[in-house]
Amino acid sequence: MTMLSRVAERLYWMARYLERAEDTARLTQAYTHLIMDIPKGSEPGWDILVRILDAESTYGNHYRVFNEPNVLKFLMADLDNIGSIRASIVAARENVRTTRDVLPGEVWEHVNELYLYAQEEAEKSVGRRNRHHFLEQVSTRCQMINGLIISTLCRDHAYRFIKLGHLLERADMTTRIIDVGAGALLGDERNHPLVDPLIWAALLQSLSAMGTYRRTIGPLVEADSVVDFVFRESTLPRSVRFCLNGIRTELAPLKNNEEALRILERSRRRLSRFRVEESSREELHAFIDRFQTGLTDLSDIVTATWFQPHPS
Amino acid sequence: MNKSWKSYNTGDFFDELVTPKGSPRASARRVVNMLQKLPQEEMADRRSAAELAIREMGISFTIYSEGKNIDRAWPFDIIPRVIPARDWDKVSQGLAQRSRALNAFIDDIYNRQKILADGILPADIVLESGNYKPQCAGMSPRFGAWAHICGSDLVRDKDGRFYVLEDNLRVPSGVSYMLENREVTKRVLPELFENYSIRPVDDYPSRLYRTLASLSPRDVRRPCIVVLTPGIFNSAYFEHSFLARGMGAELVEGSDLFVGDDECLYMLTVDGPQRVDVVYRRIDDDFLDPEAFLEDSFLGVPGIMRAWKAGNVAIANAPGSGVADDKVVYAFVPEMIRYYLKEEPGLASVPTYLCMNEKDRDYVLANLDKLVVKPANESGGYGLMVGPHSTKAKRAKFARLIEQNPRNYIAQPTLSLSTAPTYIEDKVEPRHLDLRPFILNGKDTWVTAGGLTRVALVKGSLVVNSSQGGGSKDTWIVEDSQ
Repeated sequence: MTMLSRVAERLYWMARYLERAEDTARLTQAYTHLIMDIPKGSEPGWDILVRILDAESTYGNHYRVFNEPNVLKFLMADLDNIGSIRASIVAARENVRTTRDVLPGEVWEHVNELYLYAQEEAEKSVGRRNRHHFLEQVSTRCQMINGLIISTLCRDHAYRFIKLGHLLERADMTTRIIDVGAGALLGDERNHPLVDPLIWAALLQSLSAMGTYRRTIGPLVEADSVVDFVFRESTLPRSVRFCLNGIRTELAPLKNNEEALRILERSRRRLSRFRVEESSREELHAFIDRFQTGLTDLSDIVTATWFQPHPS
Repeated sequence: MNKSWKSYNTGDFFDELVTPKGSPRASARRVVNMLQKLPQEEMADRRSAAELAIREMGISFTIYSEGKNIDRAWPFDIIPRVIPARDWDKVSQGLAQRSRALNAFIDDIYNRQKILADGILPADIVLESGNYKPQCAGMSPRFGAWAHICGSDLVRDKDGRFYVLEDNLRVPSGVSYMLENREVTKRVLPELFENYSIRPVDDYPSRLYRTLASLSPRDVRRPCIVVLTPGIFNSAYFEHSFLARGMGAELVEGSDLFVGDDECLYMLTVDGPQRVDVVYRRIDDDFLDPEAFLEDSFLGVPGIMRAWKAGNVAIANAPGSGVADDKVVYAFVPEMIRYYLKEEPGLASVPTYLCMNEKDRDYVLANLDKLVVKPANESGGYGLMVGPHSTKAKRAKFARLIEQNPRNYIAQPTLSLSTAPTYIEDKVEPRHLDLRPFILNGKDTWVTAGGLTRVALVKGSLVVNSSQGGGSKDTWIVEDSQ
């Protein structure tokens, strides 16, 4: 099957944006629940959600104060924030619009419906009353679209580049979610022995991993075992290792994959070597930063190798 | 008979389905009888079903309005237009003949220019036309075929005779709607198909594929064919994508293609560059190659003309084909048929006055209120004046335009376009229509069974373009034995 580089690139970004919309919705959802559980005075600030997505400078262009309405509007509805749920859905739709030919017809229909839904509801759902419903709708609809792709799309290049985008974005978002738990972001003064397990439990929830964690590790939610589980549990579809293994599977049959595989292996080695129980929270945060840079390198190489190849 | 048909009156026009006395024509009897027996509510139900099918099938066209591109559902009238096969076969032969002559003409113009040397038509109107591309001189594409896909517009006058209104030889569109109209009719009026033997239309994509494949410069079992689109914002993008899918070809944009050092055309794929044999381009000559035509075009492919001239890639339609798609050149097509084919034209052309000739011009200026005046070089029904429907100011404006640039204007008598019953709100009323069949030229010449019927939905209007309030109908060529 022939696959145009331009089409491959659009499919890759469609998948990244859909995953980003879903993960941001999950993270926002989990965080909102968490804040409600934590006693007044010890709750972490709303700024974390912005910092986790590396969006402080965009945020600063539009808002001064990190309060709940501002941050939630920024994450859910602002079109100026390219990482917001609504902007991610707009971008995903633009990419599907021009690749409809290689996708099952229903994918376009559902992405378009999701787009119409977000255009209509995002702004209205910033307040706590409608927020839950909106975020749940977004993650459910994204999952439905993924399900459609998995159950109908032929396993050729189109599927491969969708998968690559999806897994890369997911690995990136999972490490960001761990970063919330890392003390470096929270600040030591906010670290609270009572609050800590609540935070880690909320993070597991946002990764749909609470049940698996209990069955695999046990009922006690502790920082080190959560981090280790989410990093390295190879059977958990949102774990970092699962994503990296998946990326390797998709890269394998592609031509000219040497450079991409080299960078991927570097990340896989780093992940295997990292010892969470021997690291401070600062070290964990620094590790995650480096790891995310590795993912960016990988995305750059994928772009240079397959999307914008130099004609020769 | 249900109420909606009660006041149907064909007036002074030739009606496709109904005789002047009000009874159905023989070939259309079953369609008309069946529709007249349908209860009024059911007529409306069938129309809603058609609208739903069109939305579900995603049949749309794009219009540009207020700075935005809007995707509109395709306008469709459920009552089919019926043409007896015996009439159609004559039209079809006439179209094939015409298309062969036009291709011979283009090939001649870019090579020996015999027709000009023999004085059949004046050299300056051909060579000074913007559609004549000197960059193409000396080329002779395979089979002498330049305009591989031709979409001629036909109309019927009062007497029911078919006339060719114009030949679209550049990037004619509409064929996808011809196919989709049939799909919709099969869904909403399935019972009609039981009693008729209707010539199928759905083999068009495979015919197109065969025509394009026959042009491949490489002798390979499955040549690489691409459809080159200007992109999603083009009004015919739906069709580009439809035809690419129908042929299993790649839908590409200019930026997907490049010309290598070996003067071959390649597309950028994730497996590396892949050689392209045939380009079905849906962008105009001027945008095709910034090296050869408009320098600032981002839609085209730098160097594609070099690859074409080196014989390494086929382009359909061949660059420069537009030279025969000019309303002044149109006037000479009957002569071309006699000159190249030594045959008499099987299809009539509309008498045409060339404003560049003093005698014709005087006649046109004196009869502006009776004639249709057209610019030589516009499509889509833009920039024309229909004399009988015009205002004094508009006629004065056109008189000025003609005097300023006589080469650019032609005039024709106002034809009484034929009508067909069309379902408007809750009534069936006559509306004017035309017909665009498609002719393929490669190794062989092939004509679609019927074509795309476009209908002016506004009462009395002659403008059938979808961008200006036109609709469409399914077109049936039915075997005579019934």
